[in-house]
Amino acid sequence: MKRRRFLKIAIAFLGSVTLLSFIYALVKFLSALPSRIAEANRLTIRKSDIPSGEAKNFVYQNAPAVIINRPDKGFIALTRTCTHLGCLVEYHHVKQRMMCPCHAGSFDLEGNVMSGPPPKSLTSIPFRIEGENIVIG
Amino acid sequence: MMRYLFCMAAAALFLVPSAGVAGYREEFEKGFLTKPWAGEQVEENLCISCHASDTMKPDFQSIVEAWQASWHAQNRISCEHCHGGDPKDAALSMSRQRGFVGVPSSETVPEFCGKCHIGILSNFLESGHGKALKMSRKAPNCITCHGSHNIQKASINIINEQLCSKCHSYERAKTMKQALFLTEKRITELEQALLNLKRQGFYAEADEKALFSTQAEFRTLFHTVDVDLVKEKTGVVSANLDKIEQNVRAAVWELGFRRNFSAFLLLMFAGMGAGIFLLSWKKGD
Amino acid sequence: MWNKIINWLEVRVGLGNFIQTQVIEYRIPKNINLFYTLGFLAVIAYGVQAVTGIVLLIYYIPHPDHAFRSVQDIMTKVPYGWLFRQMHTVGSNLMITVVILHMITVFMMGNYKRPRELTWLGGGLSLLITVMFGLSGYLLPWTQLSYWATTVVTSMPTALPLIGEPIARILRGGDSVTQITLSRFFAFHVAVLPPLFLALMGVHLFLINRIGISATPFGMQDEERRPLTEYKRKTHPDGYSYYPLFFQKQMFMVMAYFSVMFVIITFVPTLFFPDEANMPADPNHTPADIQPAWYLLPPYQLLRLVPNKFLGITLQLVLVLVFLSWPFLDSHPEKNVLKRPILRGVFIFLLVMWLVLLSWGRI
Repeated sequence: MKRRRFLKIAIAFLGSVTLLSFIYALVKFLSALPSRIAEANRLTIRKSDIPSGEAKNFVYQNAPAVIINRPDKGFIALTRTCTHLGCLVEYHHVKQRMMCPCHAGSFDLEGNVMSGPPPKSLTSIPFRIEGENIVIG
Repeated sequence: MMRYLFCMAAAALFLVPSAGVAGYREEFEKGFLTKPWAGEQVEENLCISCHASDTMKPDFQSIVEAWQASWHAQNRISCEHCHGGDPKDAALSMSRQRGFVGVPSSETVPEFCGKCHIGILSNFLESGHGKALKMSRKAPNCITCHGSHNIQKASINIINEQLCSKCHSYERAKTMKQALFLTEKRITELEQALLNLKRQGFYAEADEKALFSTQAEFRTLFHTVDVDLVKEKTGVVSANLDKIEQNVRAAVWELGFRRNFSAFLLLMFAGMGAGIFLLSWKKGD
Repeated sequence: MWNKIINWLEVRVGLGNFIQTQVIEYRIPKNINLFYTLGFLAVIAYGVQAVTGIVLLIYYIPHPDHAFRSVQDIMTKVPYGWLFRQMHTVGSNLMITVVILHMITVFMMGNYKRPRELTWLGGGLSLLITVMFGLSGYLLPWTQLSYWATTVVTSMPTALPLIGEPIARILRGGDSVTQITLSRFFAFHVAVLPPLFLALMGVHLFLINRIGISATPFGMQDEERRPLTEYKRKTHPDGYSYYPLFFQKQMFMVMAYFSVMFVIITFVPTLFFPDEANMPADPNHTPADIQPAWYLLPPYQLLRLVPNKFLGITLQLVLVLVFLSWPFLDSHPEKNVLKRPILRGVFIFLLVMWLVLLSWGRI
């Protein structure tokens, strides 16, 4: 009977270890708080990286975006996906516009449509200024 | 007996109408078998249907084949994206009203391609090549190195002796190639690493996008054909690549951990199975 | 102390008495074999799917704009999300395999015969529900593979004239797979099918208990005089007790099930994830060689082969009806399939055909 007892204890031990591993995994799974996932998605850019009149491209929630340092009105962050057929719009320093190369759609630096086929304005992306940094997301 | 009659009646009920709707086959095949996922791609692009047909000159026909093999085709960039025109309306397919521009002249090729490749256009126009093109026609434009319709993904091997020594000695091109080489190699390796990670269930999308934009910036830079500028910017590019490499290494470690964890669980279950088996093994059973 | 609690429960619930009569004194036939555990295994497999499914529900977002991303996050960013997702995916394929094996072994042992026809019917419907679980769940990650495989499968009903199009349209909620399709598949997968399945399981298990376990026809002579004409619970007074012998067999099979699952998760984690399963759905671009999941390949391939499409789909419907109502059609008193060469031959032929269609459909 010693063998049977040993086997029963061994199985119970393995069983508890397995159960505890799953419970551990589940607890960690549930404590992936939104802030932890958001942190992974958060983007920080130094203000000094973008001189006045310049722009910097970045990726926001898997979509291309741009942050522009407008000479008159300060920073703005816009999506770069043209609302016409989805091409990427480019920031034109000289014209102070966002231009779409595909069908010549043009947006002002608030994202509003100035001319061309785009039906809607570009979405602006919220961001915060924290001291020397711009924080998006 | 009744059972068999019942079965036969049921079979007849289903089979006889089949003969009646035998003509339905054509309709069904039109609706079902011509769908892309049933085997055949339905081409709706009028540019392609005309230019690929036998009434066209062989030169024009070969354009369609060349394009179909290209990287543009794989990314769903077709005729109208570069040449304009309306691919759905036969009357307006080559109309100026729909922005049709036809074949660009050799010195306007950069602007033609630069409609979408904006950064490269500005770098190119500032470069020796660009300036030479605008002054005389004896200079390379985009097509010289990349081809016109069978455009493949850019690689460092576009810089080679055969191509570059057409106008000047290969020495300069060789220096440039050397300056680019290591960074390009790293980029290619990182691309492959990220693809492998994705296949194994680890989606490093942010890193993929960062790599793509770093690569694009780097290659745009090449078009200035300014070796010093390239060497200067290589530092910045390398720093970006370092960050991506770090993330890749962390991901590889994580995948290793996952394999170990599930191997551990496998051992637990196998162990319990073995234990139960031994437990049920009675002597002389 | 412990005994006091047990005693308290015993007076109010009668648990001890229940365990004594239902578990320890429950007798099972002496010649029971390992195949008898497959039913229990199927229920455990369902339990695994339900638990891992609920866990995934905590982070999954059922909208086309977010579905792929949320599954990505589960696999990459959420700690141990990969574990539950892998268990759910691998488990779904294993569960369908187990249910099919259970059906085959019940057939081979003739355990569907009178008075167990209703049990077979309940089981057959459960198989169909399990396949529907697989179909609806396949779309949820919203990948290229999900989207296009679902497009193919939801177009199969169009082979029926007149009613085919409306059926396909109701399934998809439109003319093509869209957000509406995702929402209704999600509702089905999470809220409609589980209670349906559990209700069927309840009936199925109740009937098994009520009628009693049938003995295998192999070797030992089955002493039942067939055909039976009045209700009689089948008992095995000289059989083994359920606990510990058969319980051990069942537990062993459960461990084997989990071991197979974790062999796959450890050594071939990409088995059910081809490249198209890692790309977000793109309604404008069909990948080459798209096909439904393996358990739907035989009907799909049959549909492609039969020249007359109406015949193709009705043939399948007829086969399903025959399969579900087989106990009512098969009145032969002989339970042992080894003594019925024609039936055996036909069944093995159909099984081989099913496998041939499966492999053919992969090409």
